[in-house]
Amino acid sequence: MDGIDGAREEFYSEAQELIDTLSRNLLALDAAQKAGLPDPTLINEAFRAVHTLKGLAGLFGSTGTSRLAHATEDLLDELRLGRRELRAELLDPLFRSVDVFTQILLRDKQGLDEPPPTLEPLLSALRGLEQGEVAEQGALEQYALDPGVLAVLTEYEEHRLRASILAGLALYKLRVCFDLTSIDRALDELKERAKPYGEIITYLPTGESPSVDTIELDVLFASAADLSTLVGALGTDRVVVEPIARSRPREGLAPSVLPPAALAPSAPAVPQAGDAAPEVGLERSLKAVSQTVRVDIRKLDHLMNIVGELSLVRSALQRWGERLRAEGHRALVTELQRLGRTFDRRLLELQDGILEVRMVPLGQVFDRLARVLRQVSRELGKDIRLVITGAETELDKLIVEELSDPLMHMIRNAIDHGIEGAEQRRAVGKPAAGTIALNAFQKGNHVMIEIEDDGGGIDAAALVARAVRMGVLDATEASQMSHREALELVFTPGLSTKLEASDVSGRGVGMDVVKTNIARLGGVIDLESEPGIGTKLAITLPTTLAIVSALMVEVAGQIYAVPLAVVSEALAFDGQETRRLEGREVMSLRGASLTLCQLAVHLRLAVAEPAPERRFVVVSGFGARRMGLVVDRLIGQQDIVVKPLGHSLAAVRGFSGATDLGDQRVALVLDVGALIEEVFVLGDAAHDAWRLHG
Amino acid sequence: MAEVPERRVARRALQRVVARDGAAEEYLSFCLAGELYGVAITRVREIAIVPPLTQVPRARPEVLGLCSVRGLLVTVLDLRRRLGVAEGPTTRRSRVLLVGGPQEEVLGLFVDEVRQVVLLAPTELEPASVVLGAKTPDHVAAVGRLDGQLLVIIDLKLLLES
Repeated sequence: MDGIDGAREEFYSEAQELIDTLSRNLLALDAAQKAGLPDPTLINEAFRAVHTLKGLAGLFGSTGTSRLAHATEDLLDELRLGRRELRAELLDPLFRSVDVFTQILLRDKQGLDEPPPTLEPLLSALRGLEQGEVAEQGALEQYALDPGVLAVLTEYEEHRLRASILAGLALYKLRVCFDLTSIDRALDELKERAKPYGEIITYLPTGESPSVDTIELDVLFASAADLSTLVGALGTDRVVVEPIARSRPREGLAPSVLPPAALAPSAPAVPQAGDAAPEVGLERSLKAVSQTVRVDIRKLDHLMNIVGELSLVRSALQRWGERLRAEGHRALVTELQRLGRTFDRRLLELQDGILEVRMVPLGQVFDRLARVLRQVSRELGKDIRLVITGAETELDKLIVEELSDPLMHMIRNAIDHGIEGAEQRRAVGKPAAGTIALNAFQKGNHVMIEIEDDGGGIDAAALVARAVRMGVLDATEASQMSHREALELVFTPGLSTKLEASDVSGRGVGMDVVKTNIARLGGVIDLESEPGIGTKLAITLPTTLAIVSALMVEVAGQIYAVPLAVVSEALAFDGQETRRLEGREVMSLRGASLTLCQLAVHLRLAVAEPAPERRFVVVSGFGARRMGLVVDRLIGQQDIVVKPLGHSLAAVRGFSGATDLGDQRVALVLDVGALIEEVFVLGDAAHDAWRLHG
Repeated sequence: MAEVPERRVARRALQRVVARDGAAEEYLSFCLAGELYGVAITRVREIAIVPPLTQVPRARPEVLGLCSVRGLLVTVLDLRRRLGVAEGPTTRRSRVLLVGGPQEEVLGLFVDEVRQVVLLAPTELEPASVVLGAKTPDHVAAVGRLDGQLLVIIDLKLLLES
């Protein structure tokens, strides 16, 4: 039914995965390069991802992807083979390619054939890179290696060999003997154990196996460790470690200790046809057998609906049981009930299982953030370290997707407004390089994500002053504000602490949006900041999107849910004095004024009977944007599953979804952010518009 | 999803006819303000007794409300308002047809009464503009006859996407 579309979908998700792999390896490479230890396996992995992507793109006729993959692959190949030295300037276009790949895919998806405008400049940048110079010549002469061995080295292996010798590592030969049946595992184990000590350049069969069931290999190994360490770490009865002597050509001495043949006395130049075992080993390691399956999230939604239907069947069965009992079939009913309980348990497990499948690690979005951080910090010329912990923490797929933008914004803010310039940091005795920590961890039923920087902190006084200047606060309110309340002003629309807007984090549009977006996911955001020490934003999220704590209220006979995350308190409202201020109804609450929103009036609800004498005000909102929702009755707190309103109600504002009340009825969930916006910004104009509409 | 009983009965009765004339299509007929209407049965997923409806403030007037059908959130539209015919009270015969709408959304359509499934060949249908005049809206696809009464065939795709 969905053959072609299905295949294309598959292409997009597979391509996206490859791009993610590329991105992840580039990030690791960047970090390794800064530490001065570029890991060749990372370049290889990145190369492999792009290579596969190129093939895939060719298959699906995505020319933009093909062309870019081709250019990127060339550069990575040169790096991999050591024809070029890895430098930050070379990483820049590679990082850009990650973004451009994504742009091309998005356009492909929308059916746009034209490549994004960013493609050509990047291609010419990649082409325009100067040819690299490599000074590996002469390295091999330092060792008297068997020409037979040198002849079978691939270009890559030869490069690694030269690079290792130039890096001053010593060469060793490990003679190993493995059973043919378990060679894959044995080789993997050896690689694992050898990795901390150095690098395996190549391995070749010696052709001298003691029996037909075993194979003997010579492993060429480069290491900084000395012989006794290696013997201790790797030597067993099946692994014999020997050093390979230097020929020391500079001192003009003839090779004395070991003849060149020591490495592989009779190594066949090319593995012979009958000698397929080591080849198999290589193949296996390249095609790491994947245990994962990609699934369209809508299919999971469908499964979830089936679970819902099954529970309906279950209650029908229960009713039948009751009828049977009434007719006197006691024994049958007992049996039926026992089965019913098993059924319930399994159904619950099924439901949990499906929810679990929807969970993905936060690492997916953290990788993207790390890329942005690298780019933005280079643009601004700031040296910033990103420390990530808890990338394996899992959240519902939809939440992770929705988190991407808010987190991106917070990171940009931290780089732009948080971390000070290098001189300023030195002046106050901080290390020149700033640090941003991104921590995620599970806390009960919730997941916490913290973004912490060691920058200058938020200037609360400046924020308050600005808020007063903009008319958000009056002078008395400003003077009564606690430090915490003042910080909360960051979430007020239109307030930006940095006086000059920048390209990076813009002009004070943002933190309010961030807060609203987080609240929409049922999350809360907290802010701590100490001047001179840094700022920490902590987001608390439910692990599954669906479940949110809400305060259920009744207005004009209808039940509505207010997400608890936006409610600060609820109080009785029995005819307190209210006054009108700029067209809004306002009451005083502990000396401050609170704008009221009569929900029944604001939503134009049909009121069947007069509102009760004693009503309630639900104080809700964010930061300085608070509002009192006037309702008839408080029903209580409840964990609800919020479902989005359908396409047919897409134009309706003021509700973020609806929830099942269990008895076939549903309650709308108020979008408090939108209601506040209507009352504060649009004021009575909006009101009138709705009146005309209704 | 369980097959609608009316549909099952009709299918059995009509199997022979279908065999003779493969082009014939099944329509579900229903009443609105005393008039007969029909929609292609392939569009109808289920016929439900009118569930309790939650008002949606600010929605278009034809939105009767929201309900939950086994956990699925469904917007119920009033076909009478959508088609501009007179509205009577909800009776025990009133039903909600669950149909597939735009963007894969399941929509509920409130109707006064569900009648039966009829099998009509294209030759039994007349173009709407011939019978009802040139000003007939696009979503009125054709007109058939049933027991001497006019049966107005509605194109749900056109009706719901406009």
